Amino acid sequence: MILQTPILALLFASALAGLVALWAGWFSFRVLRHWDVASGSRQQLTLERSTQLVSTLFGFVMLIEIATLFLFVFNADRMAALFVGAMCAVGTLNVNPYGFPALYLKIAVFFAAALWLILDRLDRAGYDYPLTRLKYAAILGIAPLVLASAATELAYFANLKTDVITSCCSKLYTPANEGLVADMTGLAPANALWLLANAGGAVLLSGISVLWLGRGERLLAFFGAGLFFAALTAIVSVISLYVYDHPNHHCPFCLLKREYGYFGYALYLPLFAGTVWALGAGLVRSIPCGDSLAAVVPEAVRRLTVLSLTAFLLFGVAVFWAVARSHLILLG
Amino acid sequence: MTGWLRRQRALADYTLAALARRRVKNAGLLLIYALVVFIVASATLFSSAIRKEAEIVLAEAPELIIQDLVMGRHAMISGELVEELVGIRGVSGVKGRLWGYFYDRVNGANYTLMVPLDETLVPARGEAIFGEALPRTRGLNWDKAPLFLSRFPGDLFRLNPAGRLESDSALVSADLILIGEEDFRSFFELPEGVYTDIAVSIRNSREIGTIVEKAGRLLPHARLITRDEISRTYQKLFSWREGIMVVLAGACVLAFAVFAAEKASGLSAEETREIGILKAIGWDTGDVIAMKLWEGGLISIGAFLLGTVLAYLHVFAFDAALFASVLKGWSVIYPDFALTPMIDGLQLSALFFLTVLPYTAATIVPIWRAATADPDQVMR
Amino acid sequence: MISLQSVSKLYNEGRPSETTALSGIDLEIARDALTVFKGPSGSGKTTLLSIIACMARPTSGRIYVDGRMTSGLPESFLAKERRRTFGFVFQRFNLIRGLTVMENVLLPTAPLGGNPQADIDRAAARLDTLGLGPKANVAVEHLSGGEAQRAAIARALINDPPVLIADEPTANLDTELALRFLDIVAGLRAEGRAVIMTSHDARIWGSELVDKVVSMRDGRLDEGTS
Repeated sequence: MILQTPILALLFASALAGLVALWAGWFSFRVLRHWDVASGSRQQLTLERSTQLVSTLFGFVMLIEIATLFLFVFNADRMAALFVGAMCAVGTLNVNPYGFPALYLKIAVFFAAALWLILDRLDRAGYDYPLTRLKYAAILGIAPLVLASAATELAYFANLKTDVITSCCSKLYTPANEGLVADMTGLAPANALWLLANAGGAVLLSGISVLWLGRGERLLAFFGAGLFFAALTAIVSVISLYVYDHPNHHCPFCLLKREYGYFGYALYLPLFAGTVWALGAGLVRSIPCGDSLAAVVPEAVRRLTVLSLTAFLLFGVAVFWAVARSHLILLG
Repeated sequence: MTGWLRRQRALADYTLAALARRRVKNAGLLLIYALVVFIVASATLFSSAIRKEAEIVLAEAPELIIQDLVMGRHAMISGELVEELVGIRGVSGVKGRLWGYFYDRVNGANYTLMVPLDETLVPARGEAIFGEALPRTRGLNWDKAPLFLSRFPGDLFRLNPAGRLESDSALVSADLILIGEEDFRSFFELPEGVYTDIAVSIRNSREIGTIVEKAGRLLPHARLITRDEISRTYQKLFSWREGIMVVLAGACVLAFAVFAAEKASGLSAEETREIGILKAIGWDTGDVIAMKLWEGGLISIGAFLLGTVLAYLHVFAFDAALFASVLKGWSVIYPDFALTPMIDGLQLSALFFLTVLPYTAATIVPIWRAATADPDQVMR
Repeated sequence: MISLQSVSKLYNEGRPSETTALSGIDLEIARDALTVFKGPSGSGKTTLLSIIACMARPTSGRIYVDGRMTSGLPESFLAKERRRTFGFVFQRFNLIRGLTVMENVLLPTAPLGGNPQADIDRAAARLDTLGLGPKANVAVEHLSGGEAQRAAIARALINDPPVLIADEPTANLDTELALRFLDIVAGLRAEGRAVIMTSHDARIWGSELVDKVVSMRDGRLDEGTS
C-alpha cells in the first residue's frame, strides 16, 4: 500500500460517499414504503423534513464523486513514475486487476451522480414533491454502485505494489491485440473521423429540433450517448495521433500529461459534460412530471440542451485544433 | 443565473457579518483548523519538494551504472570493459567513474571522494573542491584552510581548497570531496586501469531496456542499475514517509471534525433565536442551510489558505524546521540547503479534500437540525 | 382574501402532553381590512397568527390565500408564500443585534436574489416614510422602543407584501407611540394592504380604524364585529 496524500484523500472521499450512500439507501426504503404527500400525518411531515437532509447530503456526496473522478485520473498519471514500465495512467491502472474496473465504476458513478443532481434540482422546483419517489428509488440504484466503486478503489490502492512490472500503453493500445480496445485502436483514421462527424451532426440536428420545435429530447439523449462512444473511439484511433505527432501512439491517457499541455482535459471535460447534459434533457422529458412542474420542465429541457450543445461544440473545437496544429499528415 | 449569484452574494454578506459578530469563537475555530491544515500541508509540501529535488538531481545522472560484483559484493571494475560497452548500439557515452567513501574518525562522518566526470571541474594536483558540510563539520574557518585526512594512525593527507560546492546542490553534495584522478588513486592506493563503476549514457530513453539486456549478456556477473530504479526508490521512500505523517495528521483532522460537529450542534440560544427570526421573516430551511454552509465554507477556505500559506513559508523559508528530521532520516551530516519552492496542483487538491471535506461532512447534520426548527418558536 | 376552513392545531399530537391550541376555526379576512384578534393569553391568538402567516402548518383544515391553498405546501413553498404575501412584526420586534437598521430591513431580500441597489432604494424610501431615514446606519441596539418598532415595520414591508401581521404591537409603547402606530396602520390601509393584529390594548379595539374584531377563547372563536 502506498501512503500518499492524494490516495488518502481519494480513499477518504470514497469512504464518506459509501457511508452516506448506505444511509441514504436505508432512508430510501422508508420513503418508498411510507411516502404519501396527501396525508398530513406526523410521519409524513417528519419524512418531508428528513428528505431535505438526505437530499442535501447525498447531493454533496454526488458532487464529491464527480470531482474525485478527475482527481483519480490525475493521480494515476502522476503515480506512473513509481512503477516499472509505466509511463502514464495506463501503467498505473494495470498494476493490479482492480485498476481499470475502479476507473469504469467511477465513470459510471459520475454519470449516475450528475443525472441524479439534475433530477433533484427539478424535484425541488415543484410544490408537491413531484419526483421524490422517483428520486429515492434512484438512490436505491445508485447506492450499490457507489459502494462497489468505493470497494474496488480500496482493493486497487491496497494492492498497489511497486515491484510489479506493469505494461506501457503502447502494449495495450495496439491493433495487434484482441478485443474492443484493439478494434478501436485499429479503426482507420478516416472512418473514425467520419463516424465522429456523423454522430456530431446527429446531436446538432436533434438539439436544434429541441430548441426550435420543442421535440426530440430523447433523440438528443440517444445521439449524445452515441457521440460519447464515437468520440472515445476517435480519440483512441486518430485524435491522439495528431496530439502526439506520432502515427503509432494511441494512448488516451498520455493526453493528460503535462508535456502535451494537459490537452486531454480540454477534450474529456466538455465531452463528459455534454453527454451528461444531453442524457439529462432526455431524462427530464421522459419522466412523468405532475402539474407542479408543467411550467418548469420546458425551461429546464431548453437549458440542458443549450448546455449540452455548447459543451459538444467546445469538444469539436478542441478536436479541430488538435488536427489543425499537428505536424502529422494522416489523410490525403 | 444572476439571481442565483446575487442570492449567494447576499447570503455570504450576511454570513460574514454574522462571523464578525462572534469574533472570538470563530477565530478560535479558524486557528485550530488552520493548525491542522498546516501540519498536513507541511508534510505534503516538504515531501513533494524533496522528491522534486531528487528528480532534478537525477536528471543529470547517467542512465545506467554498471558495477562489478565479487562474492556478491561491489568490487572494482576493469577499464577494458569500457571498450566493449561503447560498441553497443544506442550508447552515447561510456566513462569509468572513480569514487569512494572515507570514514573520518575526527567527527564520525562519512565523506564521499570523487573524481568529477566533467573535466572542467577537476581540481589541480593536491587540491580539492569541498561540499558545503565539510568546512562546517571540520571547523575550517577560513577560505584557504586545508583539509587533512587521516587514513590510519599517523597518516596525514593534505588537500588544499580549490573551491566549495554551492549549497543549492547540498542535498547530494554536502559531504562530497572532488579531487583529481592521480590524487584519488594515490589516496586509495588504486592501480591504473580500474574504476569504481562505469557510467553509461543512453540517447533514447525507450531503448534503455534493450541496452541493459545487451550489457547484461556482455557482463553476466555485473550489477546493472538504471537511473529510473534509483528515482523510483527515492520517490517511494519519501512518499512513504509523507504518508505516515499524513496518516498521523489525519487523526488530527478527524478529531477536529468531531470537535467541529460538536460545536455546530451546540448552537447558543442567541444563534437559535437568530435562525428563528430569519425564518419568520421569509427565509426557508434551504436558505438557512445555504447560509450555514457559507459559514463553514468561509471558515474552511480561510483556514485552508492560512494553513497552506504558513506551511509554504515553513517549508521553503524555514526549511521545515519542525518536521525535517523525521522526513530526512538519520544522519550525522544534515545538508544545509534551501528547497526549491514549488506548488503542485494535485497535492493542493488532495490537501483540500483531506481537510475541508471532513469538516463540511461533520457539520452538515447539525446545520440541518438547527435550520429546520419551526419559526413560530421564536414568538414565544 | 384569506380564508380559513375548520383549522385546528394540536401540539405534541399523540403524546400524553397533547394540547389543543386551535379548534375548528372558520374565518374570512378581507383585503384592505384592519382585523384585530383579542382574547386572554393562551386563547390561541399567536398560534392563529403564525398559521395565517404560513409560519406553521395546521394539524387539520385548509387555508386559502387569494385562492391558493397554502395548508398542504412543502416547507420551501410555504416560505415562498410567506415572504410573498406576509410581513410580520413581532411583539419584541426581534431585530438582529449587531446589524444596522438598514441591514435588518434588507434581510428579507437576501434569498430573493433581486437587484441589490433597487432593494436599498426601496428600503431607504420606506425608512424615510417612517421617519427613520437619518438612523439608517445606526446599530439597532441604540434605538428607542418606538424607533425599533418602526424599523421592524420597515423590515416587514420591504418585499411589498399585501398583508402586514403584527403581534401585540403596542404592548411595549406609551399612549403617544400607540397612537402614532395607528397612524402608520392607517397609511398602510390607504396603500391597499390588509393588516391583522393581536392586541390586549383597548385603545386598539376601540379605534374607528378597525374593521373587524375577532374574540378568541380557549382556541375557539367568539366572532364579533365592530
